[in-house]
Formats: sequence, C-alpha cells, structure tokens
Amino acid sequence: MMSWIIFSPEFYFLLVSTAFLCLSMMRRVKPEQLYFIALVLASVGVGVCLACVRLTGDLFAGTYRVDLFSQVFKVMLSMGLFLVVCLCTELDGIEERHHPEFYFLLSVCTLAMMMLVSSVHLLTVYVALELSSYSLYTLVFLRKGRDRGIDAGLKYFLIGASASALMLFGFALLYGSIHAAYLVEILKILPNVINRPVVIVALILLLTGFFFKLAVFPFHFWAPDVYESAANQVTTYIATASKVAAIAIITRIVALTGGGSAYLVHMLVTLSIITMTIGNLAAVVQKDLKRLLAYSSVAHAGYVLIGILSMSQAGYSSAIFYALSILMMKFTCFLVLVKVADDGRNLDIEHLAGLHRRSPILAMALMMALFGLAGIPPTIGFTGKLLIFTAAMQKGYFTLVLIAMINVVISLYYYLLVVRAAYLLKPKEQLPELEVSSSIKVLAGLLIFGMVAGGILPQYIIELSRTAAMTLM
Amino acid sequence: MPIAYAHFPYLSLILLSCVAGLLIILFIPEDKKDAIKWVSAVCSGITLLISVYLFFAYDKTQGGLQFVEKYQWVPSLGISYYNGADGFGLPMLLLTGIVFFTAVLTMWELETRVKEFFALIFLLVSGVFGMFMSMDLFFIFVWFDVSLFPMYLLIAVWGSTRKEYAAMKLTLYLLAGSALVLPAIIYLVVKSGFHTFDLVALMHPGTFTPFQQKFAFILLYIGFGILAGVWPFHTWSPTGHVAAPTAVSMIHAGVLMKIGAFGVLRVGIFLCPEGWQYWAHLMALLAVIGIVYGVFVGLSQTDLKFVIGYSSVSHMGIVGLGLATVTVEGLNGAVFQMFAHGVMTALFFSSVGYIYDRTHTKSIAELGGLSRTMPVASGYLIVAALTGIGVPCLASFWAELTVFISSFKVYPLYGILAVCALVVSALFILRVVQRTCYGPEKERFAHLEDVSFKLGIPRMILVSVIVIFGLFPDVMLNMIQTASIPFISGLP
Repeated sequence: MMSWIIFSPEFYFLLVSTAFLCLSMMRRVKPEQLYFIALVLASVGVGVCLACVRLTGDLFAGTYRVDLFSQVFKVMLSMGLFLVVCLCTELDGIEERHHPEFYFLLSVCTLAMMMLVSSVHLLTVYVALELSSYSLYTLVFLRKGRDRGIDAGLKYFLIGASASALMLFGFALLYGSIHAAYLVEILKILPNVINRPVVIVALILLLTGFFFKLAVFPFHFWAPDVYESAANQVTTYIATASKVAAIAIITRIVALTGGGSAYLVHMLVTLSIITMTIGNLAAVVQKDLKRLLAYSSVAHAGYVLIGILSMSQAGYSSAIFYALSILMMKFTCFLVLVKVADDGRNLDIEHLAGLHRRSPILAMALMMALFGLAGIPPTIGFTGKLLIFTAAMQKGYFTLVLIAMINVVISLYYYLLVVRAAYLLKPKEQLPELEVSSSIKVLAGLLIFGMVAGGILPQYIIELSRTAAMTLM
Repeated sequence: MPIAYAHFPYLSLILLSCVAGLLIILFIPEDKKDAIKWVSAVCSGITLLISVYLFFAYDKTQGGLQFVEKYQWVPSLGISYYNGADGFGLPMLLLTGIVFFTAVLTMWELETRVKEFFALIFLLVSGVFGMFMSMDLFFIFVWFDVSLFPMYLLIAVWGSTRKEYAAMKLTLYLLAGSALVLPAIIYLVVKSGFHTFDLVALMHPGTFTPFQQKFAFILLYIGFGILAGVWPFHTWSPTGHVAAPTAVSMIHAGVLMKIGAFGVLRVGIFLCPEGWQYWAHLMALLAVIGIVYGVFVGLSQTDLKFVIGYSSVSHMGIVGLGLATVTVEGLNGAVFQMFAHGVMTALFFSSVGYIYDRTHTKSIAELGGLSRTMPVASGYLIVAALTGIGVPCLASFWAELTVFISSFKVYPLYGILAVCALVVSALFILRVVQRTCYGPEKERFAHLEDVSFKLGIPRMILVSVIVIFGLFPDVMLNMIQTASIPFISGLP
C-alpha cells in the first residue's frame, strides 16, 4: 500500500481528467464555473506534486521510476498547467461547447507528461509520449475558425506521427541489438557497446521523437505554424509545459549513454548549433508575436542541448534549471500576449504599441521576461545560461559557447524590437487602458519577482537541480 | 595584496542607496514629479558623500584592498559577494558619485516620463557602482550588464537625433562585447581549477599558463574595449552620445565608457598579466589610431555633440595608451585620465545640454555669440573645452602629461603622434568654442535666459572638481600609486 503513495501525483491528475470527462458529458456547466473548478483542481495539483517531491521508489515491475529528477519535473509540469489555467478567464480562442474537452485534454496531457518523466522502460516511454502528443494534436484542432486550426493541427500531427514512427524504429533497433528495454539495464550495457554503428543509429532515431517535441532542427518546422494557429492558451501550454517534459526525457535518454560516444556528441553539437542559429535568424524577421516566440523556443532548444550534450552532472543540472527558467520566462511572455489579445486573436508585435501606458505592470513583466530570454542579468535566464556555458566549458567546448553567445546577441535584437513596441511605439488610434484583474497583476508581480530572484538568489534551485541530476548518473 | 575588512559596510551602503532610490521612485505616483526628483537628489547625494568619505578614509600607507565585505553567495558555483576598494577603484567610485549627483541635478527640468527616467538612471548607476567595487567575476559581469541594458530605453525614449537607431546600435555593440567577456570569464574560472569566481584568489601567480592568459586577455580586451570606445569598435559611441539625453550622455561618456577601460584593467590585466604584456603593442597601436582618428573626424563635425563624442574617442585612446605602456606611470596616467575625462566630459555634455534645451540646436553653424546672451553657460563650455585640450592647472593636464611621459619611454613614435594629434584637437576645439560663444550675436537667441544659480550648481561642482585636482594632482596620483606600484613590481 505504501508504495502507491509515490504514484499520487499521477493518480490525482487521472482523477482530474476523469472529472473533466464527466463534466464534458454533462454539458450544463457554465464556462466561469469550469474555469473556477479547473483553477482549484490545478492549484491542488501543484500542492500534491510539491508534497511528493522527496518520494522515491519503483512501480509496475520496475518500468516506472519515481526519483527526485522525475518529481522535480512533475512539480514544474503541474505549475505549468496551473499557470495556463490562470489564463483561461476569457477562453475566446475556443468555442464554448468545447471548453470541458479543452480542460480534459490539458489534464490528460499533463498526466501523460508526468508519466513520461518517470518512465524507465522503452514501452512506457512510448505510451506516455504518444498519449501526450495526441492530446496536444487535438488541442491544436480546437481553435475557433476551423480552417486555421485544422491546417496547423494536420501539420503537427503528420510531422509528429513520422517522428514517432522513426522513434519506434529506433526502439526496435536498440532492443534488437542489446536485448534490453529497461533503461537501467540499457544504462549498464550501453557504454560498452556505444561505438557500434547500429546502436548509434538506434539512439539517433530514438531521439528524433523527443527532438520533435522540443522543436530541434530538423523537426522544428511545425513550431511556428502550430504556435500561430493554436488558441493562445494552447500555445502557452505547448511553449511551456511540453518543452519542460521534452527537456526531461532527452536528458534522461542522453544520460543513459554515459558520455561514451563521440559520434553522438558530434551530432548533438551540430544539431545544437544549427537549431539555435536557425531559430534566432528566423525570429528576426517575424511580425507575429507568437511566431517570434516559436522561433525563440527553437533557439532555446539549441541552448538546452548544449547543457545536455556536456553529459556531466553539471550539464544535466543546468538543463533542469533551464527548463524552469524557460517555463517562467515563456509563460510571462504569453501572459502578456493573452491579456493584450483579449478576444483570443493573434497578436502582431506592433499591436503591443503603448502597452507601457495601458498596463505598466504587464509591460514591465514582458520586458523582464524578454531580457531573461536574452540572458541578461540579473534574471533567471542569465543564471541558466551561465550554468549551461560553465558545464560546456568544463568539457572544453569553447567554440560552442562562443557561437551560443553570438546567437544571444542576435536574439537580443528581436527581443529589443518587442520591448521597443511595448515602450516606444505610439498606438495608431487611442487605445483604452487594459482591464487587468488584480489577481493577474499579482501573478505578473510574482513572476517578475521570481525571475529576478532566480537571477539573484539561485542557490536553492541550483542545489535541487544538482541533486536531481545526481539520480540520473 | 593586503586585505582589510570593513568595520561598516560603506560599499554596500552605496549600492543600497541606489537600490533604495530605485524602489522608492517605483512607488511614488507618476504625477508627483518634484518628489521623484528630490528622492533622486537625496539618494545620489548619499552615494556622493560616501564615495568622498571613502576616498579620503582610505589608508594609503597600508594600501591594498580596503573596506572589504565578503559573503558566500552561491557556494556550489564558488560565487561570493565580494566588494572592496583599492587605488584603482576609489577614483572611479568618486567619479561615479560626482557624475551621478550632478547628472540628476542637471535633469531637474525634465518633464516627460520623469518616474521611468530616474528609475532607469538609478538601475544603470547601481550597475556602475557595483562594477567598480566588485572583486568577484560573476558580480563584475552582472553589474556590467545591468549598467548596459537600461541604456536602450534611456536613449530610445528620451533621446534626440536618430535615437532609435543609435539606441539599438549601442545596445547591440555593447552586448556583443559582453558576449566575448562571458566566455572569457568562464574559461578562466574553469581553467584555473579553483572552482571560484573570486578575483583575488584567481590573481595568484602561476594560476594560468601563458597561452591561457594570451587567449583570455584578447577576448577580454576586445569585449570590454568595445565599451571603452577602442578603435575600431568605437562607432556606437558618437552616435550614442549624440542621441542620448543630457544626463545620460553625462553618465555614459563620463562613467560608462570608464567601465570598459576599468574592466580591461581589473579583469584582463589583473588576471592575465602575461597576456597583457604580450598584446601591449597592439593595444598601443589601436589606442594611437583612436587618438588620431578621433581628432581628425572631430575636425569635420558640424554638430556640437558629435565634436564631444569624437573627442571622447580620442581621450579614451589616451587611457588605452597609458594601459599599454606596462609601467607605473602609464597606469597612473590612465586611471587619472579616466577620472579627469569623466568629469570633463560630464561638464561638456551638461553645458551643451543646457544650450541645446534653450536654442534647440546643436549645429555649430547656427549657434554664435552665446557669450553675450548666456555668459555663464558659455563660461562652463569654455572651461570644459580648455580641460579637454589639456590646459595646465586643470585635471586633464596632469593625466595626459603622465601618460605621454611614460609612452615616450616605451613607444616614442606613438607618443609623438598622440601629442601632435592633441595639438590639432586644441585647434579644432578652440575653433568650435569661438564659433559658438563668440562672433556676431544671433537675433533669435537674444531673449534666452542664462544659467540660474540653482541649475548652475551641478556645473559648479564639476568645475571645482576639475580645478581642485588640477591644482593638487598629488591627491589623486598618490592614491592610484598605492595600487599601481605593488601591481607592477609583482609582475613576473
């Protein structure tokens, strides 16, 4: 009986999704009530995950591992869900009759991602990944004004399906060559056989599925279209929680190799450089804010890979830290986006004009988040980059760090364009002050505080992520 | 290096009053403009008082680092909150205090978006103070960046003349500099094997191999040098100076460019002395090109602020030349020149700013005869110009003299070139003064008011600082020597 307590976060979110499934069949709940229910359930979910953060153990015949690494990510995922639900007061991008399904799919997706970060068997990994992907495909389809959602949803689905097919092929190859499906066993065998071509191919194929999730080149093509076409809240979820889960699983898989293979490192270095450069260069010319953030997500995937490919405890812990910082910074950007585009429309950068007059706190939050994304101290984004670069430098990747820093300067250009829109541009017609509820103001204030605190006093989070990374080794 | 811990956290108090000023301003309603200005004046006044006190309380016979505060910050990364002041840092702290206080007073007439302006100025200056007092590489970098990014908004919102272009160019250039500094810092920290960002610990001789020093030094030199206006990375600086509002030009040319030179000194030269000696000739060459180039481009400018902007490039070249000599006199002169140029250029921008606010033009051709309508304002302009060309008994004279003497010993050719360029600069600056202050009186400027006593206070402070250090250069040189002599004698 005791051993089942460690499963309580997943169990809780299973209950939550069942509840929303029932509500979707009742069809008699008002959107405000739904929002309220979701908010309460999601906040309790954060509490449950926090309470379980120090638990450890194995479940389901060793296919499911609960350790500090997975629990830290579960806290981040539940926070991601909670934050996204906070934005759902005006869920105008999705038709009202689909609201229960929206919450249902969100909670299922969160559940699936929680299972993903705990999976230590190839099959559970696959099942969890597909479950989360299918919920996301459907969420993208839900956008009001059918054509748009369907177009992007199909693109997402097709690329996703091919990536997962490749990944499944990789699983098969890996299992066929080393006869092990438990990650623990793979961890023992893999460093010895890592230089066999078939193992390398298997690992590369296997990683494609996760690269798709993280939007790493060459699987990044879906990102801008999906970000643009999905409802703003769904995009927020994809940009925050789903990225966090992808970072977690890639870290876990790469940690399996024990840092033995030069081929794998070379491939990751190449992918990381291409990914961040493409992401940053493409972002420079974007007009739509969501597309810009999509390309910036691609660029950040490249930075995270630097930490992961360092294949050391410092590297993995920097990736964990960076996941948290992405969650906070990206969410803050989307918070502003959702509130400015109050009728659920897409937002051009120039529509931010005059934001500093319309809502000073949102403008400030946006500026802090963008400077954080650009890695300027004293924000959490800077600390994340410092950790990543230090880890890479310890492995002697000086050129890689230098290229990343050049990328950071490029990225600063387009982040500054957004800041310029919010602080300098004058709106074409006189716009009224934004109606921002006091709870959103508090949330924005907390996010600003959190981002600065993560830059100034990161000690506790760094320690936590180091201990979490230790469980991977 | 002897280290004396502080009995009272003076250095943190400087930072604290900056941060307190920032927070208080953020909570004052926007329409209470006078309250905001008074808070700014009081908080910046406190920083000035503390920095003056520290300058005179420093024990010169003991030397080394004093007023030290050190606390663990992120032990797992080896980061500590480590502040200290030595003979190099104290003149810079004093300079920052003076320029900050006078810049706040200079902007007393500001009416648009007052709250945001002063909040950003406070943010910027806390970065500057932090940079000058920090002895931990992590904090040095953090303060360095904190002092850079408010510049974008400060120029783009309150500036003039192609302000958005200038702001973007400046920010990208400076952040490109920091993109070289950060890898170099991490490289040094990782290669040392000490697992610490503590500058004093890393300074231990033999920590880095000659190759590591050469490699890191050139990155640090270019990275910080961009901010110091080293030719050919200076192009952001004149456009930035011209576009910025008066107080920002003052802080920017007066203090911010010094951060760059100070970074080269504090991080580059301190940690990589062998790299410094290896690259010294290149530094001298770039510095002299900067001096000559600044003067000749300055000759052809028609905009008053561009003239000062290019003369800044030239004057910062003198700092670079001093650093490149690898001698005690060179370091003394370089640091003194940083101080003197800071005060001088602040006075220059503040008097030009006053004239521009009244006449709404910075074009030299349109101005003229100002000494009759605005005798006091043009008086300040003339003092600044005379300091700029190095007239004896004003602070710059001693600084430039020290640098030139040391450079004649080490690089005779460069020394001659630099002195010749300075003579030409005297010519063109005097020409500018003659065109703007003398000549026929212009009808349209006849009704303009002269500097009132209240608005004159900041300019008077700057003039008196220039004169005091011109008459008693020993006060400054003795201070700098407490750091430069032990450092040079400790070189391998």
